[in-house]
Amino acid sequence: MTAQDTGERRRTSDARPVITDLMDEGTILAVAEEAWVSLVGEEEVLVPLAGELPADVVSSWVDVVGPWTGSVVLTTGQATAEALSRALLREAAPEVLEPEDVEDAFGEIANVVGGSVKAALPGPSGLSLPQVGHAPLVRNPVDVCRVDVLWRGEPLTISVQGALPPLPASH
Amino acid sequence: MKILIADDSRVMRQIVIRTLRQAGYDDHDIVEAEDGADALAKVGSEGPDLVLSDWNMPNMTGIECLQALRAQGSQVPFGFVTSEGSPEMREKAANAGALFLIAKPFNEDTFKEHLDGVIA
Repeated sequence: MTAQDTGERRRTSDARPVITDLMDEGTILAVAEEAWVSLVGEEEVLVPLAGELPADVVSSWVDVVGPWTGSVVLTTGQATAEALSRALLREAAPEVLEPEDVEDAFGEIANVVGGSVKAALPGPSGLSLPQVGHAPLVRNPVDVCRVDVLWRGEPLTISVQGALPPLPASH
Repeated sequence: MKILIADDSRVMRQIVIRTLRQAGYDDHDIVEAEDGADALAKVGSEGPDLVLSDWNMPNMTGIECLQALRAQGSQVPFGFVTSEGSPEMREKAANAGALFLIAKPFNEDTFKEHLDGVIA
């Protein structure tokens, strides 16, 4: 046994888990599928396949603050975000969607998915109001759990990503 | 019966109204509020028979609205429809006088389960 092997590093990392210690892609997909059936429609299916996102993407997200701190981020093409908004609004959808309608609807999907992700994480945690725009940056590539899906053939990603940079390496 | 639906998301208010209809509660007056402060004011002005409220809203949260209503002496039946349903929040809601907490995502069966007996 060496003098350096104090277990300190392990304890430090235990004190701040990364998301892959806490959940896997299957949990995120199940949460998203449940949200889709409830909000978008009973017949709506998410196919767990990756597709190439278009150039004009939009993201919606909520922040989780607690033992694990980060964001639950949905990203898709602008046209797909609009299609999702129409699906949520159904007969209440206006002929021409305003940007606020898309922000509201796409943000609410992130809110529901984020609330369910938060429920699967250790607590107590707080949940922010949803935001829509350019996704928050990935601060620690290890602290990310991402699912790629197709909805009506269009790509969409769900990323559960930490907000904190990696801890300094211990030597 | 008059039902006040409080949520800062217009889309979610529409979904709650649609789900009420799907659950068979389709013959009621609906009033909408866009946050807790608006809901508090509309309980006063509209006199609803039931409030269905989101928790996390700007200006005034749902729980603050409920606490303010009870502090004013209002006993209007109040339930949460919210994306967060942790045991701590359920306990906080019950302690403040909420009848139930429906966690999103929900469907018409969830609504029936909680609203049968509350909505005539």
